[in-house]
Amino acid sequence: MGKAIGSEKLGKLFNGKARCRKRREWRGFRDTWYDYTRWVKIIWMLSKFMMHPKNVKGFFRYRWMVNYLAVPMMIDKHSFGLRGNHLRICREEYDLIADDVAKLLTMIFSADQNLGAKPKDSAHIILVDENEMTNVLCGFPTLQGLSWETASSYVCCLLKGDSAAHYLDVVQQMGLPGDVCPMPATEAGVCIDDDMPILGKCAVQCNTTCDGSLLGNGVISRKLKAHGIPVFQLAVPMRHTEEGVQEYAAQEIRNAVKFIEEQTGAKWDWNAYFECAKRINIGARECSEWLEMTKTDYPQVIGNNILLYRETEYMAIAGKVPAFAETDLKITKLATESYKRKEMLAKEYRHRAVIWGVQSQFYTDVLAWMLNCWGILPMFDMLTMIALDPISENDKEQAFYDMAHQYENMIMRNRTHGGYEVLLDDLWRYCAEYRADMVILWEHIHCKALNGMHGMFEQQARKRGIHLVWVNHDLFDPRIIPRASLRQDVNRYMRSVLCEEPLDPSLEEIDDTNNW
Amino acid sequence: MATFLHILLIIAISFACLFMFSLVVYFFNLDMKLTTSLEPLFQKHYDRRKRERNL
Amino acid sequence: MKDLKHLYYFEKLLEDANNELVRRAQADGDICVGNTCYQLPEVLMDLPGTFTVRLRAPKTVSMDMGTYYMTSMLCDYSRALLERAIEGGYNFLDCLMTPDGCTMINRCVENMELLKVNEKEKFFYKYLEVPLKADDNGLTLLVSECRKKILGGLKEGYGIDTSDVALRKAVEKHNEICRIITEIGNFRKDDIPRISGYEFHIICMVSFVCPKYLIIDKLRETLEELKIREPDKKFQYRTRVVVVGSEVDDVDMIKLIESSGAYVCADRFCFGSLPGRQEIILNDKEDVLTQICRHYMLDCMCPRHMDTPKMNHRREYVDEIAKEYKADGIIYQQLQFCDPWAYERMIGAHVLHDEYNYPVLTIDRPYSVGVSGLLKTRVQAFVESIEIKKIQGEKK
Repeated sequence: MGKAIGSEKLGKLFNGKARCRKRREWRGFRDTWYDYTRWVKIIWMLSKFMMHPKNVKGFFRYRWMVNYLAVPMMIDKHSFGLRGNHLRICREEYDLIADDVAKLLTMIFSADQNLGAKPKDSAHIILVDENEMTNVLCGFPTLQGLSWETASSYVCCLLKGDSAAHYLDVVQQMGLPGDVCPMPATEAGVCIDDDMPILGKCAVQCNTTCDGSLLGNGVISRKLKAHGIPVFQLAVPMRHTEEGVQEYAAQEIRNAVKFIEEQTGAKWDWNAYFECAKRINIGARECSEWLEMTKTDYPQVIGNNILLYRETEYMAIAGKVPAFAETDLKITKLATESYKRKEMLAKEYRHRAVIWGVQSQFYTDVLAWMLNCWGILPMFDMLTMIALDPISENDKEQAFYDMAHQYENMIMRNRTHGGYEVLLDDLWRYCAEYRADMVILWEHIHCKALNGMHGMFEQQARKRGIHLVWVNHDLFDPRIIPRASLRQDVNRYMRSVLCEEPLDPSLEEIDDTNNW
Repeated sequence: MATFLHILLIIAISFACLFMFSLVVYFFNLDMKLTTSLEPLFQKHYDRRKRERNL
Repeated sequence: MKDLKHLYYFEKLLEDANNELVRRAQADGDICVGNTCYQLPEVLMDLPGTFTVRLRAPKTVSMDMGTYYMTSMLCDYSRALLERAIEGGYNFLDCLMTPDGCTMINRCVENMELLKVNEKEKFFYKYLEVPLKADDNGLTLLVSECRKKILGGLKEGYGIDTSDVALRKAVEKHNEICRIITEIGNFRKDDIPRISGYEFHIICMVSFVCPKYLIIDKLRETLEELKIREPDKKFQYRTRVVVVGSEVDDVDMIKLIESSGAYVCADRFCFGSLPGRQEIILNDKEDVLTQICRHYMLDCMCPRHMDTPKMNHRREYVDEIAKEYKADGIIYQQLQFCDPWAYERMIGAHVLHDEYNYPVLTIDRPYSVGVSGLLKTRVQAFVESIEIKKIQGEKK
């Protein structure tokens, strides 16, 4: 244990019998003190959260709220092994996300009819899907776009790996087969299990990532309809790279805006929209900088430090929260400092890897494990490579096409839809651009869009001489494929094919069976 | 004056103890260990709640 | 009942994707357009000089290659099609059109393209964006896509006449087939029907997989034959069911259900007639292509349509046809690993049972059903439960 990267044998932190780690890392005085102060901040934030009576009510009303007890641990998982500026970048991002989610929950519970709120308390609330781009609300500064799905399903799985298990059982008892993607299935399960907050003046649903998410919305819209909450389904084209569908997509945005105006009485505000557009452009620009650094020998913002932050910023925030744009600049500053000093995130980088496919939601910290155990540098992943082109900050007509473009390029779906070119060809292009010698290919066993190209991935990787490491998982359900199995997939490849020894042998076999 | 200083001393010692306590909690992950022991109790509460399970 | 004269012939045609009539039509110089989904207006691919076949992979047993490329978690239909394509079973096609509808079929066709399974010089693939909602915006999209990709593709690739006159001619021929199939199908409404669900399924399927102009005469003859066919003296089945769900191109599936005692009186599935074999009514005022696209968009019962009116209408439609065809129960079936029908089956089964009070059986099944003992048992148990319910109803 110490200041230097790799000085602590991180495997020793795990204890299979326990649900959490034995202790936190010792990162040297300076970094441990820094981490401690950020932990205090998080605890204070959580305590403030629980001082709201409605939040306490919500905690005891909804089973999925119990997962939020694990917030500090979630941050620990993702700051695994980090030091110096990389630790600071991580904490800036995750603390901001935690704060934002706490605000989301507070707003949800304050308007939730299950907790005693009246429908008029929702007059300014628009429900949106998990994984849905929210830029359509940028021009409605008086309205709030809230996603109970994000709070109840998506974030919960980050916090506690098996959080979805109960809801999956519920929905499967209702007759849904177990082979569909567990993400929309979990949302449907939350809805069926009477654990869905009832709020919102209206809802804007969207076909986000896949057939499952499209169909799962049908379960939710039934419940919303039963509570008198009108729903607009925003249809986003599949073949999103084609010119011929852009007008359709833009018209859908116009229709969505019209729907919101009709339901809420609010009027679209172009000034507010263009303010958000500026912040979106800041985010895109800064992310592009981080990715430029990643092309060099000293990447700074990588793995989940780029993924989870950017997907939150791109989709849920979409320029509406100034704090994220400020944090983008902070991150770039920290990253640039570290880049100039040629700082590394692990003792050694043995492989530069592109992380492709849909990563497991219940084990997002496996990237940190890969880096620390095997020196596999997870440069970026598929979900990070979203729309980074600047959008117009003043053209009203172009704005609809920009919004549509961002909807079409929502995380995951910009690769799962759009043809094999965006899934296959782009991968190899990125490998060349970022000098990747390895692809960690997440095989989410129930993701038909990815699995449908399994053979092609293999063939084309072989042709290009790229190490393709298949890592199987079931996204939200660690009962199907546990975390240890994901590690085994990597271990097996590293040992049998590459004949390498781990950087940190204590991490190769760890017992985290019961870990949250 | 003496009483005031006395009170200040007590406050300072309390803060110091709280600070040391928080350091111990932080480093030995006691916050998470506590929540993992509380979690089963909460789950029982959620199991007991009556639900209207329907499509 | 007396056997239908052409039934055996129709069954033989269904044994091979590149059947005798397909070969004859191509020998006559017609362009064979492969398609995979109802959401592509079939009539646009049946223009003078072309004919369309809906892809199937009859008698598929092994899917090793399809599974390698697409894994075992995608539906059997998509893997079977890919398997057959890799084996060369679709080399007769001149082009393949598919909607970017369900992910699995889309990936199946993409794999075919990447593997270059068809080496014909002028062969092309077209992937269409099809609407997810039945509204004006969706219609505009569908018209644009069809004009550009289907009509444009056929015109540029093979010099096919895609004028309004050609479209109207195609609609006329399509409507004639639909009238015949619909009239045949109406016999299923009788208390003692003179046609079995199995026979009807075969008749309906040949119209999807054979050049219509070569099969129409035999269909007409079959209709005339049915008009004078004597039904059995007694209803041979124990109950009547509507079969709803994902694609059924395996005739053994309907045979299995009927051999278990349930008469399949209505076919609300892909490759079925409801919808699929309804006439397209054209007026003289509006653009023909728009009218055609509107028909398909509004009639479509694919669970992929996500707008609330469509979602509700799918279940209302099942209730309508159940009443029209006098069904006692409903079988919601889906292909294993079919995501859209997984959800639709769950919701539809609950709605039809809880809100419309139908007995409902839900099953998921492999692509080739064969003589699945498991399925047979499920259907038999369902039939018995309907009978018991009827008896209890009578007692009250």
